[in-house]
Amino acid sequence: MTLPAYAELHCLSNFTFLRGASHPQELVERAHGLGYSALAITDECSVAGIVRAHLAAKACGLPLIVGAEFRLRCGLALVALATDRLGYASLCRLITRGRRAAPKGRYDLGFDEVAATLEHCLALWLPPASLADEPQLLAMAGRIRERFAGDAWLAVELLREGDDAARLAALARLGAQAGLPLVASGDVHMHLRARRRLQDALTAIRLGVPVAGAGQALYRNGERYLRERGRLAKIHPAPLLAETEAIAARCRFSLDELRYEYPRELVPAGETAASHLRKLVEAGARLRWPQGMPGKVRALIEHELALIAELRYEPYFLTVHDIVRFARGEAILCQGRGSAANSAVCYALGVTEVDPGRMQMLMERFISRERNEPPDIDIDFEHERREEVIQYIYRKYGRERTALTATVITYHRRSALRDLGKALGVDAASIARMVAGTQPWDSAPDLAELAQELLGFPRHLSQHVGGFVISAGPLAELVPIENASMAERTVIEWDKDDLDALHLLKVDVLGLGMLAAIRRALASVAGLRGRPFGLADVPQDDRDVYDMLCRADTIGVFQVESRAQMSMLPRLKPRNYYDLVIQVAIVRPGPIQGGMVHPYLRRRERAEPIVYPGPEAREVLERTLGVPLFQEQVMQLAIKAAGFTPGEADQLRRSMAAWKRHGGLGHFHDKLIGGLLERGYSREFAEQVFEQIKGFGEYGFPESHAASFALLVYVSAWLKHHEPAAFTCALLNSQPMGFYAPAQLVRDARAHGVEVRAATVIASDWECTLEEGRVLRLGLCMVSGLGAAPARRLVAARARQAFLDVQDLAGRAALDRRDLEALAAADALAGLAGHRHLAFWEVAGSEAPLPTAPQAGIDEGLPLLAAPTEGQDIVADYRTTGLTLRRHPLALLRARLARAGLLPLRELPQLEDGRRVRIAGLVLARQRPGTASGVTFVTIEDETGHANLVVWKQVGEAQHRPLVESRLLEVHGRLQRQGEVLHVVAQRLIDRSAWIGALRVRTRNFH
Amino acid sequence: MKASGLGLRAASPDALADVAGPLPVTRRPSAAVAPAAVKPATVTPAVVAPAAMTPAVAAAVAGDLWLALHLAAPASGPLLERLAASAGEITPRVSLEPPDGVLLEVRGSLALFGGVEALCGKLRAACRREGVRVQLALAPTPLAALAGARAPRRRGEAPFRVLHRAELVGALAPLPLGVLRLPQETIERLAKMGVGEIGQALRLPRAGLARRFGPAMLAALDRLVGVEAEPRQNLSPRERYRARREPSYELTEQPAIIAFLAPMLAELEAFLRGRQGSVTALECRLHHREGAATRCRLRFAQPAFAAAAIGFLLGEQLAATALAAPVTACELVSSRLVPRQSASAALWQPGEHGGSLASEAPALVERLRARLGEDSVYGLCLVPEHRPEAAWRRVAALHMAANNRQQAAGSQKASAGAARPQPATRRPLWLLSTPLLLPALGAWPHYEGPLEKLAGPERIETGWWDGRDIERDYYVMRSRAAVQLWVYRQRRAPHEWFLHGVFG
Repeated sequence: MTLPAYAELHCLSNFTFLRGASHPQELVERAHGLGYSALAITDECSVAGIVRAHLAAKACGLPLIVGAEFRLRCGLALVALATDRLGYASLCRLITRGRRAAPKGRYDLGFDEVAATLEHCLALWLPPASLADEPQLLAMAGRIRERFAGDAWLAVELLREGDDAARLAALARLGAQAGLPLVASGDVHMHLRARRRLQDALTAIRLGVPVAGAGQALYRNGERYLRERGRLAKIHPAPLLAETEAIAARCRFSLDELRYEYPRELVPAGETAASHLRKLVEAGARLRWPQGMPGKVRALIEHELALIAELRYEPYFLTVHDIVRFARGEAILCQGRGSAANSAVCYALGVTEVDPGRMQMLMERFISRERNEPPDIDIDFEHERREEVIQYIYRKYGRERTALTATVITYHRRSALRDLGKALGVDAASIARMVAGTQPWDSAPDLAELAQELLGFPRHLSQHVGGFVISAGPLAELVPIENASMAERTVIEWDKDDLDALHLLKVDVLGLGMLAAIRRALASVAGLRGRPFGLADVPQDDRDVYDMLCRADTIGVFQVESRAQMSMLPRLKPRNYYDLVIQVAIVRPGPIQGGMVHPYLRRRERAEPIVYPGPEAREVLERTLGVPLFQEQVMQLAIKAAGFTPGEADQLRRSMAAWKRHGGLGHFHDKLIGGLLERGYSREFAEQVFEQIKGFGEYGFPESHAASFALLVYVSAWLKHHEPAAFTCALLNSQPMGFYAPAQLVRDARAHGVEVRAATVIASDWECTLEEGRVLRLGLCMVSGLGAAPARRLVAARARQAFLDVQDLAGRAALDRRDLEALAAADALAGLAGHRHLAFWEVAGSEAPLPTAPQAGIDEGLPLLAAPTEGQDIVADYRTTGLTLRRHPLALLRARLARAGLLPLRELPQLEDGRRVRIAGLVLARQRPGTASGVTFVTIEDETGHANLVVWKQVGEAQHRPLVESRLLEVHGRLQRQGEVLHVVAQRLIDRSAWIGALRVRTRNFH
Repeated sequence: MKASGLGLRAASPDALADVAGPLPVTRRPSAAVAPAAVKPATVTPAVVAPAAMTPAVAAAVAGDLWLALHLAAPASGPLLERLAASAGEITPRVSLEPPDGVLLEVRGSLALFGGVEALCGKLRAACRREGVRVQLALAPTPLAALAGARAPRRRGEAPFRVLHRAELVGALAPLPLGVLRLPQETIERLAKMGVGEIGQALRLPRAGLARRFGPAMLAALDRLVGVEAEPRQNLSPRERYRARREPSYELTEQPAIIAFLAPMLAELEAFLRGRQGSVTALECRLHHREGAATRCRLRFAQPAFAAAAIGFLLGEQLAATALAAPVTACELVSSRLVPRQSASAALWQPGEHGGSLASEAPALVERLRARLGEDSVYGLCLVPEHRPEAAWRRVAALHMAANNRQQAAGSQKASAGAARPQPATRRPLWLLSTPLLLPALGAWPHYEGPLEKLAGPERIETGWWDGRDIERDYYVMRSRAAVQLWVYRQRRAPHEWFLHGVFG
């Protein structure tokens, strides 16, 4: 028997979350393997998985039909299939309409909306399971026939759920009566029957019940898979199968037809995009180079503009320029980064402050001609003001034309175990142990198997942190838009890889705390120096600043303040801007796992000759002394030294980002090693390059991003060195950000000679301020539990007239008892009421008076309240402001520490390498980098300084509790000295938290 | 304390002098359970007359001396009551301070029991018998005694014993404020002012203190040091019914026993009526000349009080009980009394129009179970499952109605989220408990001759999660005898046929 031709027209992928049990790619490949003539992916009110299906279908040559399933309010269910571009647009509009009308993750549509919206689409009516109510069925069929005459079918889905023969007969009768032709379809939920168990489990997860309790909500059998054509032939009359062919032949739409159009309004009348961009670049260049552009830069700009024109990317640069222009107008500090951001064009446009003259720009990296992929520019804005930029974009282009990119949240180990465990009735404690890794998965075999299958399944759509898509026409005709969980946000159904694949424009609008701090600090500096002071006014190449960086005196400095960075600085000894670019990129998993750090450092110190493994490599690696450090270099090595095409290198980059999750670097490994060996490189070098590729997969760091970050490193370091009061003030006002808590920032500032004054109702503003020039006054924002609104009332009332007493303060600033207690607890009432105990007594008796009962002059006598001890004050300071300006808590314990034979940390640098030491300190940070194979780094602090502990895996496991629970930690260990870098390698850990009583230490834990 | 509702707390110390005369005290049974063989109705109800100075409410008096007993760990109600009962042998003025304290007024008992040490020793012994660790303290006010008993004591530190008012403030001063059990918020706010000890709090300006923490705080401190009186309500034991009767001749027949019990049940009903109480359980012990008593335990679905109803159930149970020997005495012991919830009688009789079987069905089930045994009466309910053998289960008969409701609600939840409702398919009423293997001749199975296919297949593949995964194709078939059968074929090799059900 010859197999009949068949096209599956009703097939859900796992983008119909918790219903579909196969990836779109799996469905496409299986359908192709079975010899289907076409496959429609018809996720429920969604096309979220269609790009992946499209790519897979293109790869294997299977015609893909774009459609969606809809279950309407009235109970009617149908599949809509797009026949052409117009049909696809209407499908997207309909999905958008349904999704926008419902809370996130759901949709709401009625037949009227479907009828009014859909055009150029074919409709497959999905009759209900029970065909008992004939009049109602006829009415439904009638509505469909009336609206979709000639474009509508009755779907016959024979799934052995009862008496198929009877059902077929009943549907044939219904079709004849209603005038709808019949077509076979499969209600496919999975590519293989073997996914039945997973499909049941997904149903249970969706309903929030255990599988065993899901009962008849589960399908009774596993027939909803892509069935072999022979089986289909046995079940269906031949004409029903032939009809699928006829329908598939009418659906001609392909996603390749989508032509993205950039917004047009940025080009004034009478200009072309190209001429306008050139004008803007020329105007910007005159500001950047008032004495005229150097010839090298001129050539660069011409080259870039030509490339932009060739690829017609002008509107993209105009869009980015427009956003940056807006931000600058609002005095919002921003900085672009990414492959295209550090171009001369972007420098002229003000998108970046990185001067191309200071960089060895490699133009191939700017935009890849071969890849035909939009340029990539991320723009960082001050984190507190990013929302203003986002609102501007919505305002400028309208909500119909702009939306955020989606992020597909997929199942990871933890979520898979948790959801499946619940569905399988595994007890919560066991699940927790499996998630923690202390109990093997295979203790529950079903769970282990299903979890393996579920890994990587999409779970829901979330919003990308800041990726905006902006289009010329209505965006909803390109891709459906749905509500985000954040109010007033809308998200498209595709993620950034989908957009890349279809060449759609995306601008990343990101938030960066350091930019806010820098903007604040620059404003203070302008005030202190009595002249405008911006990023460009920061003097370049300041030797003292580099000296400070080489000393690793970098608390608060952007990017290089972590302890790993701090221990690298004295070894790398950055002396110029490009050294900072390297510094930012080198302490990353890529270079570390690739074993690149030490060779690079040795070559810098001239302790090892600078050699290049080959002529192609020299070209790529010269600026990093022959050692690949940046993502771009690895890519270029693949192209130049291993014979990859740019397209392949790009695939490699994508796989790098995803290999942890999906694996699949194997064939790249063989190709890369083979290519390098062929061109005469050593196997050792080749394997190193590959290791580095894997490292980048964890956290890729490209030079183009490091270049932008390095600029901020320098600026923040300059501010720290020259204006420490203004810098610390700005950092405190931009919290939370960075690696250190306010306590360390303030301690560091005082160590650098900054006078810091406590927060008080007599003098503090809401934010930290500078008074009498460069004295840092802590703001009321440091007072925990005090809201911004009461604090602002307080400051306003004080501006009118100084406060007489607590009663006056409470009354005029309308503070309630909670506010007052917060102030008393933080010792901010000291100037009005005396010590903390008196302040609390006062506060307890003062409330905002009722208007009818003025409380004049209550004289109730002074209470006999002893002042708190210094220790009590310190504990209270820590609890209420996170820091103290009194003595360090350990200063009070010093006698006891000395009796216990514990050294002050200040003495460590005087000791020789290898000495056994006993020390103790407050635990500031615990860090367990993924690259460091189980090592925990701990930073402790006493009144004399800091120490960095290295806790090896075995020590940490054996002494887990003191390691993770101590606030005050005693350590016995061995001093390790590498140049100027000191570590204490811990051997014994003792929790001494009892010695500091209730002192609350803010320990930051990093992973 | 509850007695604060009597208005005593507001009284000034002067006003209290009026009632400071000798207190009339009635000795009352000290144990919670009335002594056996005493007529049970002698337990006096504890009704408090607010106007008179009754033994139930004893106001603090200048000469009082209070002993507080503080348990190291919170205790259950019954344990505290037992301790109070022991204390009751020392003084009638005993009150509970749940969950971990008992207070005794002992001024008058000191001489009687040979002084403080002897008295404390006696109490300690009682506590040892109960296996609890306690701290004792003596003070002129109840609150001070409690505070002293609660205060943590270092090893070797002398117990808190203040016999005279003049020494009280000095002794209280170093105690932490926490022992007063003030509201947590008050303690925290005072701590923020550096006030952590009772002495520091007593030194604060009174007006300022009242303004900040309310008059109740001031009053508590005043009661602590005896400036104001502390009214306490004495304990009344919880009641249960217990009675024992001996017939003039030994009883051997059940009807005779029931007849003998009837007046006792009537007495029980009267006892309960007097207290507006009812019981949740009743034990009837039939004593024999030797050997253990025969026990009949009744547990009521709803608290019971009517002699007729209780007697009926008792009769049913006795009828099912074999007597080992003649009965020489009958004893009834009830559970603790619970307040009676009287239900209004239905207007309609069950079975009549509007009458409800809801109240009748449990009674019937109770009766059947009393006669046939707990497990012999059960109900069935449907389970929404695709596997036929898992689509029903046994349920406790009493909860039959509730169970079906629950099932219905559960399946509604499940089907609300289902992708599409499952088509209703025919299911046979009679299901074989074990499917019967059928011989297959050619493609089709035989059962008393060849079978004829009417409908199918319905494919059922499910149940993997509990290790009983099935993969079957079900058919409706007709036998030669025109009986419709439900037959399936295994999808797994060797593809055998089974008979699973018969349509009615």
